[in-house]
Amino acid sequence: MSKRTIQIDLNRVEGDLDFQLELEDNKVVDARCIGSMYRGFEQILISRKPKDSLVITPRICGICGTAQLTAAVLALENLAGIAVPPAAIRIRNLCLMAETVQSDLRQSFLFFTADFCHPKYDDRSFYQKARTAFLPFKGWVHRGALEHSRHLVEIIALFGGQWPHSSYMLPGGVTTPASSRHIIDSLSILNKVTRWFEQNIIGTDLDSWLALESADEFFTWLTAKEAHADGAIGLFTMMSRGIGLHHVGFGTPHMLSYGSYDDPADAGTFPPQRKHLFRAGFLNGDTGNVEPFEQAEITEHVRYSWFQPYTGGRHPFQGQTIPDYQPHSDRYTWCKAPRYQDKVVQTGPLADALIDGEPLISSLYQAEGGNAWLRQFARLRRTARLLHKMRETLNELAAHPNDPHMIPPDKLEIPDGEGCGLVTAARGALGHWLQVTDGVISCYQVITPTAWNASPKDSEGRHGHWESSLIGLTVDDPDDPVEIGHIIRSHDPCLVCTVHVLDTGKRMTLWP
Amino acid sequence: MRHIVCFGNELHGDDGFGVRIYAQLRQLTWPKNVEIFNAGIAGLNALRFFENCSQAILVDALANFGNTGEIFALKPEDLADRPQQLTGHGLGIPYLLEALKVIREPLPDILIVGVEIAAVTPFFSGLSDKTEQAVPKAVRLIQDLLPE
Repeated sequence: MSKRTIQIDLNRVEGDLDFQLELEDNKVVDARCIGSMYRGFEQILISRKPKDSLVITPRICGICGTAQLTAAVLALENLAGIAVPPAAIRIRNLCLMAETVQSDLRQSFLFFTADFCHPKYDDRSFYQKARTAFLPFKGWVHRGALEHSRHLVEIIALFGGQWPHSSYMLPGGVTTPASSRHIIDSLSILNKVTRWFEQNIIGTDLDSWLALESADEFFTWLTAKEAHADGAIGLFTMMSRGIGLHHVGFGTPHMLSYGSYDDPADAGTFPPQRKHLFRAGFLNGDTGNVEPFEQAEITEHVRYSWFQPYTGGRHPFQGQTIPDYQPHSDRYTWCKAPRYQDKVVQTGPLADALIDGEPLISSLYQAEGGNAWLRQFARLRRTARLLHKMRETLNELAAHPNDPHMIPPDKLEIPDGEGCGLVTAARGALGHWLQVTDGVISCYQVITPTAWNASPKDSEGRHGHWESSLIGLTVDDPDDPVEIGHIIRSHDPCLVCTVHVLDTGKRMTLWP
Repeated sequence: MRHIVCFGNELHGDDGFGVRIYAQLRQLTWPKNVEIFNAGIAGLNALRFFENCSQAILVDALANFGNTGEIFALKPEDLADRPQQLTGHGLGIPYLLEALKVIREPLPDILIVGVEIAAVTPFFSGLSDKTEQAVPKAVRLIQDLLPE
């Protein structure tokens, strides 16, 4: 039996991730997901004034800073019992959606689909079509995504003054109302992106696409017209399924969603009871039932992480983040291992759609399970839903022109206490847990979507979601494991993904 | 308009060369049609800095171009056969230049002014001696490239 270790670096500006895989006869028998960079945001926040989180935490990420800001402001509002007007919720939602759509378009068409142009597929019938559509900087889909994705966050700049790392949400609302100028400019950006999405990505109008409700309807639709089959989603589906991505990359069956976008019609209710536009919940993979989500059920383990040890899992309010680098032990990452009801879970657009009960994704999941193709497909399905929801949100803002964008809080300072802010970022469930003692932050715990998905093993030795999605996979060529690239990219780790094999020292690049 | 767009991470030793140049350039008086930007470690988001200009000068750290401290003025095509990133930030300048070709017609005239650096040192503030010595020369070169 031949045994070897391959290492995959997933470098990104926001923090570095590596994969170490053990292969036996080309089959993945063990996987370690390694967060190789320590960030320390939770320590940076200690002893600062509570509202400093609004400036510091959006710097956690250059892609989802709006989500970080939303989580930070919700945590402060939750702690202090601060009310927010409907217009502020709408503006926050609009910006969060813009950021998510940008991220999803880039993940899908700048990164995921580029892999179909890999030379491994040059004998496939789809290869020429793949290159024409998806080849970086040359393909019509890649070029379109590059151009159209970048304008979306201009909507955030209109309301937030800048993107990324904006700080325009404050306890009680947002800093700028939606003027008619903002609304018109936003609509003009949205219209352009929507038109491109309809013509190039789905090959039909948004409403007919969103009306597809079952696997059968979708597959019939796919072959009904050339425009459907030859749109980006049609091509991506045909190619993914052609190489069998609907049979691999399942990972854990348990899924978590914090719910997406506070419902402005329910502004009078305080989170976490406030309704969402897309529901929160926990999909129990053992029973197939969606159960109510309860944040108290979240714990984090550090058994395999480079932190000062504690036993079992701890809720973030009892959380402890004390770095303790032990490179020569069985600990292997700077990520903690979050668990829900002590279960390994995954989060992201697939989990969100299933828990919300989105009919098409649910139907495809019933038929084939949560595979790598469906995970990526769910991301693009979300783009259509969000383009639709953004328009609705702008229309609602336009219909209530003089609504206040801020309810000034009674007290100037955030009192002592604890609160949490839970949002859905592009990559899934994001939470901030904050404790204030003697007027300053005494504890701040952040659990990112990637912490859930890229989790290491926990105290019980159970692998995290990404790890388990690769174990058991057979690769054709360990020197060029493109299958692994597809699966890892379906999880949306994004940006540069290079693969090198330790035993030969040979280094390969999947893309770019 | 003419834009100077400086890239780099000042927390990573010599990788902060571009940002150091940015700070120097801001001290000087420039013709009205010159604007100076600190792009930091922005990847695709830096595309914005190339809008509304006829000429753009990118400033960044270089690796494997020459001797440490040596200054180069490069054209985009000089980077064409180097698809991998020059420095540590994200997808790198070559990726950005490719993206620019897709979304900008016509392209501004682009020059890359860079210095061969000693090392990218994570979480180290300040430039190494040879890189630091190249700063005034690089500033003069940029001034000469953008006359009144």
